Amino acid sequence: MGDTATILTEVFFETISFWWVIVPTIFLGLIVGGIPGFSAANTIIILMPLTLSMSLETGLIFMVSLYCSARMGAGIPAILVNIPGTAGAAATPLDGYPMTKQGKGQQALAMTFVASSLGGLLTTIIALAAMPLLARVGFYMHSVEMIVVMLFGISLIASIAAQDMLKGLIAGFLGLMIGSIGTDVVYATPRGTFGFLELYDGVPLIPALVGLFAVSEAFMIIEKRLIITEDAQKAMARPSWHATFEGVGIAFKRWWHITWTSLIGLVIGVIPGAGASIASFVAYQQSRSFSKTPEKYGTGHPEGLIAPESANNGVTSGTLVPLLVLGIPGGATAAIMLVVMQFHGVSFGPSLFEESPKVGYGMFMAMAVSYFLMILTILPLSRYMSRVTTVPTIYLAPMIISFTLVGAFVPREYMFDMYLALAFGVLGYIARRTGYHVAAILIGVILGPLLERYFLWSLKKSDGDISILFSSTLGNILWVGLVLSLVVPIWLDMRRKKNAQKDQEEIPIQ
Amino acid sequence: MTMTRKLDRRGFLRTGAAASAMTLGLPGIVRAQDYPSGNINVVIPTREGGGADRNFRAFTSVWKEKLGTDFEPGFFPGASGRVGYEIYMGKNEPDAYNLIFGNMGPEVLNWAVQPPSFPLEDYFYFGRVDTDPGALFVGAESPLQTMDDIIAASKERKLNVGTSRMAHPASIGLLALGEELGIEFNLIPLSGGKNTVAGAVTGEVDFSVLTSGSVIAAGDSVKTLLVFGENKVGEGLDNAPNINDAYNMSLPEMLSSRAFAIHQKAADDYPERFDLLQSTFKETFEDPALMEAYVASKGTPEYLNYGGVEECAEFMAAMLELGERYKPLLTGA
Repeated sequence: MGDTATILTEVFFETISFWWVIVPTIFLGLIVGGIPGFSAANTIIILMPLTLSMSLETGLIFMVSLYCSARMGAGIPAILVNIPGTAGAAATPLDGYPMTKQGKGQQALAMTFVASSLGGLLTTIIALAAMPLLARVGFYMHSVEMIVVMLFGISLIASIAAQDMLKGLIAGFLGLMIGSIGTDVVYATPRGTFGFLELYDGVPLIPALVGLFAVSEAFMIIEKRLIITEDAQKAMARPSWHATFEGVGIAFKRWWHITWTSLIGLVIGVIPGAGASIASFVAYQQSRSFSKTPEKYGTGHPEGLIAPESANNGVTSGTLVPLLVLGIPGGATAAIMLVVMQFHGVSFGPSLFEESPKVGYGMFMAMAVSYFLMILTILPLSRYMSRVTTVPTIYLAPMIISFTLVGAFVPREYMFDMYLALAFGVLGYIARRTGYHVAAILIGVILGPLLERYFLWSLKKSDGDISILFSSTLGNILWVGLVLSLVVPIWLDMRRKKNAQKDQEEIPIQ
Repeated sequence: MTMTRKLDRRGFLRTGAAASAMTLGLPGIVRAQDYPSGNINVVIPTREGGGADRNFRAFTSVWKEKLGTDFEPGFFPGASGRVGYEIYMGKNEPDAYNLIFGNMGPEVLNWAVQPPSFPLEDYFYFGRVDTDPGALFVGAESPLQTMDDIIAASKERKLNVGTSRMAHPASIGLLALGEELGIEFNLIPLSGGKNTVAGAVTGEVDFSVLTSGSVIAAGDSVKTLLVFGENKVGEGLDNAPNINDAYNMSLPEMLSSRAFAIHQKAADDYPERFDLLQSTFKETFEDPALMEAYVASKGTPEYLNYGGVEECAEFMAAMLELGERYKPLLTGA
């Protein structure tokens, strides 16, 4: 214990001394995270020659800082112009963008920076302290349990559908159907690809994401002069610190919300193969389910913004746990880190903390220091970033479309993906114009294939016996949790309405 | 004495005709001198930054010196390599300036399960870079720690076995083992090497089969019990025996094998260009710089293994035959 404390102290001071690497990397990460299609993973690949030429320590700190800041960066365009930079930020615009439209973009940004940093910092510390325990989560969360986790996220469709049941469910099913396009996970039989080879691996996420959210939004905003109201524009013409501090205050008041939603991210992050998109939707769904004001979600509610942002930054520290303890990367970025670190002769796995404890602890320390420096460097910028919303839509809409089309192209470099983004844009525009919720479609597109994958694995393992879904203790506990999280809010709502009705009846008629 | 000669119209025509005849009659000489006059484009049917990318960059860093031109990769991932091959065969000119760098094991096996849109005779592999045998491994904490444990457990229940995808040489190796021992295994395609290792380590499946290079990279989180080919790395694969030695079988090596391929038409129309590609490819293997580059790219040095047209054709035929044989099990038909 004494040795570990000494190592941690040493590593902390060493990491702090690398501020000159961390600060520029934070800005790089914010930029690549904010551009759809770019991510920490493909930036590390592009910069691999540079990373490999660095010393082990510098390379490690560079990659970790980039990973954290790119995750945070993805939330910025999601809030300001309804463009989630990555699938992990897909739940962020649900409440972030309505806040921007109300002229509260600066507060929303400040809130997301605090939620992301605190969530990331907190989960990093927990991951560091409980690493051996957390590494065991993957040993219990198998395909059966993951089906229930997916259903937690997918049940968000039902919440959205509550506003207009028929339209919500139609949108959700449409999303699930689009999500089933591509070859099946077991025998690789193509389904619904219409002969397009580019669809064999399923509908690519980024074109679907930017099409449904950003391109359709560009079509919508072009009909107006500004994204925000005239009053909001006047207020934002004079950026002040007040709005930033207001956002910081709102976030800090909800410290408990940040804590438990970031823990959802941490637990989902340590499961190999699960990722930020799952975590952010599950956190949003849970946040809404246990809220006293669920009806405010989707209208610019602070908790609806805090939940997904804390969760997806919780995933960041979570993915390092299986990488360091088991040698299994929890996500794409962690997989690339594994390659780079192996290049430097570091072997991950159970022996890492015996052979190179400084590397193991150093990665978490780099994460903690990055989150700490990030809040200091980025918070002052929120007052300037939010001014993008004052740009007239005749300039903003073409810029959004250009950026998103490039973003759709980048991950696979197929022209097809740009056409696909436009097609999704048209679909999103029609959906918005006719009152269908694009988020419900997107949840189906993102989580549908994952649900199908875990479902088919489970059935394959049991030779088609459906009872496997109820064969594990943890799985059964999760099933009960799922049912409760769906039923309890309805029951509470009914009770609230009943009480309100009772109160009304008791008011004497004058 | 100075000789002057006036070139009249007839003379000009005669000279021109002779020059044209020479050019047409000896196209090889003239064109070979020109080749390569630009970069060689190489389709890679997997993602940038993966094993194929690293392997390609290491190999071409030496090959480009021999050929005197650079290699430009284009990444076309998707559908287990199918997208890249379809683009190469459908869109790239068959002029020896376009090559494809694929994995002969899983990608050819894929053709046996689901044929591509082009005839298989329209392309062929001419330069094998490496050979990496499949391996059977368990998680470090698995209750199954030996092959005897696996065989004993298989008699009580059908074991679930992780594989990166159904049409994979390691899957074939396992099915052949099951056939030999009279055991039925349940193959679970876990979509990629990362998930396949994780499946064995976390107990999602009873054990897994995968390309041994990925198993070596997993370090001490896993324990290798059997290799579907020669164990050239010894301790790196826990001194696991070759399947043929352990069970007295004669299974061809179940390899993941990266190789360069070319359009058949390009080799037919430009034999001199193809000869130059072949000869410089072979020369690359004789250069010690190749091993250095291969090791630097984290390749397993024992797996660097030259193969020419014949070796590649033999391997491709064996994969197609095995794919056809196990097709019902791989497709669930």
